[in-house]
Amino acid sequence: MEGLLEGFRVLDICDERGLLCGRMLADLGADVIRIEPPGGSDLRRRGAHLGAGEDPELSVDWLACAAGTRGITLDVTHPRGRGILDRLCEGADALVESCDPDFLQAACLDYARLAARHPRLVVCSISPFGRSGPYAGLRGSDLTVTAMGGNMALTGDADRPPLRCTMPSSHFHGGAEAATGLLVALHAREATGRGQHVDVSLQAAMVCTIMTGASQWGLDRRNRSRSGALYVVGTTRQREVWPCRDGFVSYALRGGPARLPGLVAIARWMAEEGIDAPAWQRDWKTYNHNDLSQAEVDALSEPLQRFFCGKTMRDLFDGAVVRNIMLAPVNDSREIAESEQLAARGFFADVHDAGRGIDLRMPARFARIPGVDTDVRGPAPRIGEHNREVYAGIGIDGSELAALAAEGVA
Amino acid sequence: MSTDRAFEGLKVLEFGGGAAGPIAVRHLADHGATVIRVESRERPDFLRLLAQSAHNRDLDNAPFFTMLNCNKLSVALNLNDPRGLALARRLVDWCDVLAENFAPRAMRKWGLDWESLSATRPDLVMVSTCLMGQTGPRKDYPGFGGQGSAISGFNFLTGWPDREAIGQHGTITDSLAPRFAAAAVVAALLRRKRTGCGAHIDVAQTETAAYALSGWLLEWTAGGEVVGRDGNRSRFAVPHGAFPCRGEDRWCTIACHDDADWQRLVEAMGSPSWATEPGFATLAGRKADEDAIEAGLAAWTRGLDAEDVFRRLQASGIDAGLVETCADLHEDAQLRHRGHFRWLRHAVLGEHPVEKLGYELSDTPASIDRPGPRLGEHGDFVYREILGLADDEIASLAREGVLR
Repeated sequence: MEGLLEGFRVLDICDERGLLCGRMLADLGADVIRIEPPGGSDLRRRGAHLGAGEDPELSVDWLACAAGTRGITLDVTHPRGRGILDRLCEGADALVESCDPDFLQAACLDYARLAARHPRLVVCSISPFGRSGPYAGLRGSDLTVTAMGGNMALTGDADRPPLRCTMPSSHFHGGAEAATGLLVALHAREATGRGQHVDVSLQAAMVCTIMTGASQWGLDRRNRSRSGALYVVGTTRQREVWPCRDGFVSYALRGGPARLPGLVAIARWMAEEGIDAPAWQRDWKTYNHNDLSQAEVDALSEPLQRFFCGKTMRDLFDGAVVRNIMLAPVNDSREIAESEQLAARGFFADVHDAGRGIDLRMPARFARIPGVDTDVRGPAPRIGEHNREVYAGIGIDGSELAALAAEGVA
Repeated sequence: MSTDRAFEGLKVLEFGGGAAGPIAVRHLADHGATVIRVESRERPDFLRLLAQSAHNRDLDNAPFFTMLNCNKLSVALNLNDPRGLALARRLVDWCDVLAENFAPRAMRKWGLDWESLSATRPDLVMVSTCLMGQTGPRKDYPGFGGQGSAISGFNFLTGWPDREAIGQHGTITDSLAPRFAAAAVVAALLRRKRTGCGAHIDVAQTETAAYALSGWLLEWTAGGEVVGRDGNRSRFAVPHGAFPCRGEDRWCTIACHDDADWQRLVEAMGSPSWATEPGFATLAGRKADEDAIEAGLAAWTRGLDAEDVFRRLQASGIDAGLVETCADLHEDAQLRHRGHFRWLRHAVLGEHPVEKLGYELSDTPASIDRPGPRLGEHGDFVYREILGLADDEIASLAREGVLR
């Protein structure tokens, strides 16, 4: 089976902010070549590692998100290295980077200079705020862009600081936007014959996570505030994440008519279990989550919480599936790894990593397409693992490569 | 604009509702594709119902729906009437891309599933984006993004370690999944250009979110560790958090990713004695006393404006930010520079903003030209101009309740 992007080549100079983009393109079948400085990218030394040490070959982000790509070492800030990059660009369809502005200038990697030489190349930049504008030069980790993208003000408990997600969700949103934008630009190239610049802003990519909340402010000029596991609906606060016997489940009273059969079903379930819940013995035809008073919300919530506390996540999810109730377990990583649904879909692949002598169980794909290969192609490259073959592809043989390595260029 | 947009001439048909599917299609619509949403008055998109109350029975008075679905056309069609279904089938023949996000059984019931359609339309690019995917024992389990965030780990990962999981605001699978679905659709269109082959793309919203968390999952599968939520803290950076500023509920963020960052921060604060503690010079030392560092920083920021901390620390090369409210986003100089909010006029809602995508294309920029459609707003245009029905045919179908 082939991938959708068979024959496309992408050069990748991303740190953790853009790693996911390359993984997605590689899973879709593109030949993604990661370019690291000699000695390996700094990102391999940051973040989590497998094992006790901080082995750059065992960086978790790298193992997970560089999987299925090829890797070379090249100092693109060195004049000869920069020349080699130009030769690689000749054979590439796109280049994706998430470099700091100073580095971009030092390596002459800004779009204007790349485009002048490589008019067919699509260049995708992933940066905290975008490559132009008043904040273009600023620093911005996941924490900062989550704050400045509006999500943080709405996340967290009212009596403590606003919160981010412990894993960098801006890198995920931005990485996927980058992959999409890069492919849209490749599609445009089919008609125009020209590449173009795709400018991803992680801040802008995070605004979408609040699901029109920012746009709705334009209608009602009302600033929402964070309220923990509760959701502001009309004039009330309604719980969305509920403690149960061994963890938490997600369940909502809001959501319109699609939820109604589930509300009726959970009322029946509670009755079967002998839960005293008078508020749930009501005429559901007249139910509207927007018309509830806080007293009504509380009267519905109290017995429901009592019911959930007597049951495990597993009991509740199994029952919800049978009864068609929109309730879900708040899974941790172990529970996700043990999911029967994911197992049935072959979501996890055991990637054999001969170079490191390990097998790694990781998500295989983000989309299934019958008849098309969308699965992870292999392990993440070791530092300089594909130097020989990639350099040979642009006419640099083994002895020249050795000389470049000795000079610190490759 | 001299250059056509990337998908000028592309024809897209959209079934279903909610957020994940429709947002994915925006990546095509904003780049010039003609998108027809097939809707129903009998079973409206639940986003049209979210704002319904005793005071609002108007399906077009639906901000959430309208803001997500700009640049699209809407027809109302009763798919449970054979004549309605026949029209839908003709629209399938018209389109290049078919997007849907029902539970898997719905399209099968109408004979609009991939197996049925691909026999005559092998070039069709179809994308299905339900919660759990098209296969597996839980495939028909219905759900919204709230459940998706729970199932895929995002709820577990957001909150304080001493308190309950709360999840990141919004419904993260609804904002993540469409970006993955769109990437796969555009990749399939690129292949179709070369080979003429279509594809059925099966995107499970929960899987895209779990895929994004690949590193976190690998820490369990290969490292044996379930990494939990930790407030704003990072295992690899201290300080790393949000700190209170002058005014009501105003906050800044500050992160030091290495020891040089910390030195710059200490200097930017004027080297107060608590911060010059030699033990704090290393990450390990700061980690050991993180509570004290956070308290010291909070005492400093509390007397300052958040905007001032953000600008001052950034000027010193420190990763610092401003916790922006929705109002702040509209004033944000950078988002203004990008024209992130575009104001449109809607017949029922009046003037309102919508959001652009998170990326900008330099040569074939996206554009937003029309507000989200009223339900069935473009029926006459679609039935007459695209399907070529005569006026009396349209009138009789409407009379008989087929176009609802």
